[in-house]
Amino acid sequence: MSDTAQTTTSGNGAESTHGGCPVVHLDFAPTKEAGCHWAQAEELREAAPAYYNDFGSGYWIFTRHDAVRDIYKTPELFSSESITPWEPEPAYRFIPTQIDPPDHVKYRKILNPWFSPKAVEEAEPRMRELCRGLVAEIAPRGECEFIGDLALLYPTAVFLSFVGVPVSEADRFVAFVDDFFGGFSGDPEKLPAMAAALQGIRDYWEAALAERREDQAPREGDLAGYLMHATFEDRPLTDTEILDMLQVLVLAGLDTTRGQLGYMFRHLADHPEHRRRLIEEPELIPNAVEEALRFYTIIFGDGRKVTRDTEFYGVPLKKGEMVYGLVSGANRDPRHYERAGEYVIDRERIHHMGFANGPHRCLGAHLARKEMQVVVGEWLAQIPDFELAPSEPLVERGGGAMLSLADLPLRWEVGA
Amino acid sequence: MRLHVDGDVCTGHGRCYTVAPDLLTYDDEGFVSIRDETIAIASEQLAQAEDAAASCPEEAISLIEDE
Repeated sequence: MSDTAQTTTSGNGAESTHGGCPVVHLDFAPTKEAGCHWAQAEELREAAPAYYNDFGSGYWIFTRHDAVRDIYKTPELFSSESITPWEPEPAYRFIPTQIDPPDHVKYRKILNPWFSPKAVEEAEPRMRELCRGLVAEIAPRGECEFIGDLALLYPTAVFLSFVGVPVSEADRFVAFVDDFFGGFSGDPEKLPAMAAALQGIRDYWEAALAERREDQAPREGDLAGYLMHATFEDRPLTDTEILDMLQVLVLAGLDTTRGQLGYMFRHLADHPEHRRRLIEEPELIPNAVEEALRFYTIIFGDGRKVTRDTEFYGVPLKKGEMVYGLVSGANRDPRHYERAGEYVIDRERIHHMGFANGPHRCLGAHLARKEMQVVVGEWLAQIPDFELAPSEPLVERGGGAMLSLADLPLRWEVGA
Repeated sequence: MRLHVDGDVCTGHGRCYTVAPDLLTYDDEGFVSIRDETIAIASEQLAQAEDAAASCPEEAISLIEDE
């Protein structure tokens, strides 16, 4: 694999300290060669357990498994009011993502059944059929750009059908998602497009709500209608709440799976022995996907806002300061995992924080896993052998947002 | 041997019923169906019970030796 180390400004050379931690000046937003973000996370994690990053308005970085886990598991101390440490006062409010206890669980109760394993199992036959069709279109070409041709298109089509939106809207949603995550890392030049995408998604759903206003009951398989008839503590949800929910579902549901699928398929392109194994033992596919979520974690890190003055893993934190749990470093922490730095396709008892931890555990986790399992299975059934096509070195979008390969050119022999 | 799920700690990752499908299942929200319950584990189920406990990202599952 190509996770080559690169020159980073890790804590090793830090000359000053703050709160007993090395001070670094790191902007995680820029695009880099693929794998560089994980190399940087490893380097930071092994050099120190915590840093103060004086980039932007400044925030603390915790690099190791147990601290990241405890940030996630202690919402009374680490609020989700902002999840981007470079932007402590975001212009958006995602529900339930940015809601703290006790209200958080009440929103989750509304949404959980919609994204439950049962709902995903019921959808699996049409998920497979859709994927089989997309791969069948690609297979005779002998090459593709995996990210654009499948990795974003497929989760978008699945998600839209899952929430009751016509799949013909896919292109529109793909553009929203790209523009939003272009600005999510804090790149100032991309903030206007990000704001426009947020507004575009909101406008779409506002029109959808208006169109359903007279419905006496939710339409079959229609999430917007379901939310309009759902109750929060015995009162209906407000339009603002519903829009705050639908907006984040679109953003979280499409981009993350694209990112994760890209790294999974770069791995399979590079590892013929793993392709063979999954073809011979398809029952191992869920395991291979789970290990990809651990080892190729697209969540570089996750932010929280400190709710009161305290000391955490020896670091003095003040109310209102931001912390950043380096999830990608934690998921490869050798203090917690055996063979932490290896992709072990038949690893047993896999657990990881790729879907976060604690109360904000990813709502769409069951759907995301199934989407990935379906794509791996359906692709290998039609294209068992493939490789990376010659290209410029692969690059990945910055770690402020979710990591994602910009493109992934693949090729294979046709009719062999 | 008995298996206990701490309902305050479980957040519904679904690893336990995935690795121990003969032992555990899920509810309508996707949580394991025995939150805050303790169940008896037969000796032939022990391996699955251990897998379930070790796979939980929240460490919500404990195995309790019989008295």
